[in-house]
Amino acid sequence: MSDPILRTEKLTKDYGRVRALADMDLTIPSGEIFGLLGPNGSGKSTAIRLILGFLRPTLGMASVQGFDCWTQSVEVKKRLTYLPGELRLYENMTGRQLVSFLARLRGEPIDGDMDRLATRFDIDLSRPLVQLSSGMKRKVALLAVLVPRVPFIILDEPTNALDPSMREELLALLREAKIRGQTVMFSSHVLSEVESVCDRVGILQRGRLVHLETMESLRRERVIWARLVAPLQQWPDVPGAKPVTELGREIAFEQTGPPGPLFAWLGTQAVEEIRVEATGLHPVYLKYHGNAA
Amino acid sequence: MGTLIWKLLRDVRTALIVIALLLFGFQILWVKVTQRAVTQISPFFTTIAGRAGINAKLIEEQLFSGPGKIVQMMAGGENMHFERAPDMLSIGYVHPLIQIILCVWAIGRAALALAGELDRGTLELLLAQPVPRGRVIVAHLLVDLMTIPLLACSIWFGTYAGYKILGPFEVNLEEVQKQFAMLPFPVVVNAEFLKVDVWAFAPAIFNIMALMFAVSGITMAISAAGRFRGKVLGLSVVTFLVMFLLNVIAQLWDTISALRPFGVFYYYQPQRIILSGKWDVTLPCGQVNGTLVLLGVGIIGYLVAWMKFRGRDLPAPL
Repeated sequence: MSDPILRTEKLTKDYGRVRALADMDLTIPSGEIFGLLGPNGSGKSTAIRLILGFLRPTLGMASVQGFDCWTQSVEVKKRLTYLPGELRLYENMTGRQLVSFLARLRGEPIDGDMDRLATRFDIDLSRPLVQLSSGMKRKVALLAVLVPRVPFIILDEPTNALDPSMREELLALLREAKIRGQTVMFSSHVLSEVESVCDRVGILQRGRLVHLETMESLRRERVIWARLVAPLQQWPDVPGAKPVTELGREIAFEQTGPPGPLFAWLGTQAVEEIRVEATGLHPVYLKYHGNAA
Repeated sequence: MGTLIWKLLRDVRTALIVIALLLFGFQILWVKVTQRAVTQISPFFTTIAGRAGINAKLIEEQLFSGPGKIVQMMAGGENMHFERAPDMLSIGYVHPLIQIILCVWAIGRAALALAGELDRGTLELLLAQPVPRGRVIVAHLLVDLMTIPLLACSIWFGTYAGYKILGPFEVNLEEVQKQFAMLPFPVVVNAEFLKVDVWAFAPAIFNIMALMFAVSGITMAISAAGRFRGKVLGLSVVTFLVMFLLNVIAQLWDTISALRPFGVFYYYQPQRIILSGKWDVTLPCGQVNGTLVLLGVGIIGYLVAWMKFRGRDLPAPL
């Protein structure tokens, strides 16, 4: 694992008697795209706000590239950009003025990236923000986040208000950021987005980080479903394949590792149809949040 | 820092111009009011008083007796000589409308500066950049130091411009005699009462600036601790309204007169500075410079804001 860009230890935040985030231990290595999942109130925004130094931890600590997120928040923010979930911009500015203003606060010159990205996002930066739709405003804000070449990008539900083609464009940009060596942490409700772009996911439940898993290991898990000509007489004992359902002639296995042995066994059966599906995030997420997904 | 100040000035530019023009325009209007009062109305009363062998102050006391006392207090108190042009002109500096405009600016800007941005949700956009929280407070302080002198000067510029247009004040005796033809004796005018030195009004600018800075500093401290602009605005308005009323009522009611020094308006004495060149106010501990007290209050307010804002949680906007 490369040097961590983010490290939290027992990160905890209380609002009065309410514990919004409890003992969050998380390390994100450089160059990773990390997805933070959880329903509203699960602690995602609190975790992000603690990393940004907006909130003082009740217990524990968070650091970005070794800088403490509360006591050295300016150093931390030199190394990251942030897109808020609830987007509020200076509406008396044009898109260009806003992006330039934020870049000047960072002490960074505006190079050709702003115009290149504006073309790619199909936005007119000369229009006042007050005249733009919420989707267009989000594009401007995304542009402001993506223009600075910082090592860490934090996006809170970045695809809200974006149309499907723009969502794809954004996910492609995140992949490009990863290729450039940037680290991305983003929260989302849309599991398919997280599955398609993230290297690793964390699931928060009532302020606790209850699940951490790489997408690679999730992708290794699949469900193999088959419809037999006749009902199954006896479940086979196949390495890496766990029987999960049997409904008349239809059977399903959760399968990890090489699928060869299971397919070999299926080859001995009279099979009408076979379907292979990646397990994905959905069942994992449902395990913690039930119908909240 | 320059970028942040540019943005803050850009946000207030329209309101700044409007308020400056209001203050400037009001003073021009007040010069006109003064001209009419000292050249057309006052001669009537001073002549009657002179003929009756009484002090003109007695007529004033009758005019300002009962509820009129409050008006007298707001206009500068018992020591004012309404027949004198400088006294009348100086009322333009303590007129409740002027004090309200000054406070509206100072309270409005400071309340919207921190709590307003937090409430709107734009503060997190700003503080997601590598900007120390303390620098935001310093930037607001510097904006105050740029805008407050402009507004305070616009008051004096109004007096200056108004007097250049309408002054020097002169009485057209023939016209006044005709106007007060009912009097069985000629109207007498004391030309000394009409003399005005507009430059004597200039030092009052510092006292005006100090009041605005004090109001801004206190409001900034409230704003740094607040979350909702409405609540911060409400709390600040109530705070200064209580101080204002306390200052007026305590002049009429001796029992609570000892409370006057606890309000910022006690130290707002532009008339005293203009008419007598005295900068001091009386405190139980002795005489103190009121302008310096106001500046001190403003500085303390900003220090409290700085300490509070640096250490507080910034909750997500609702």
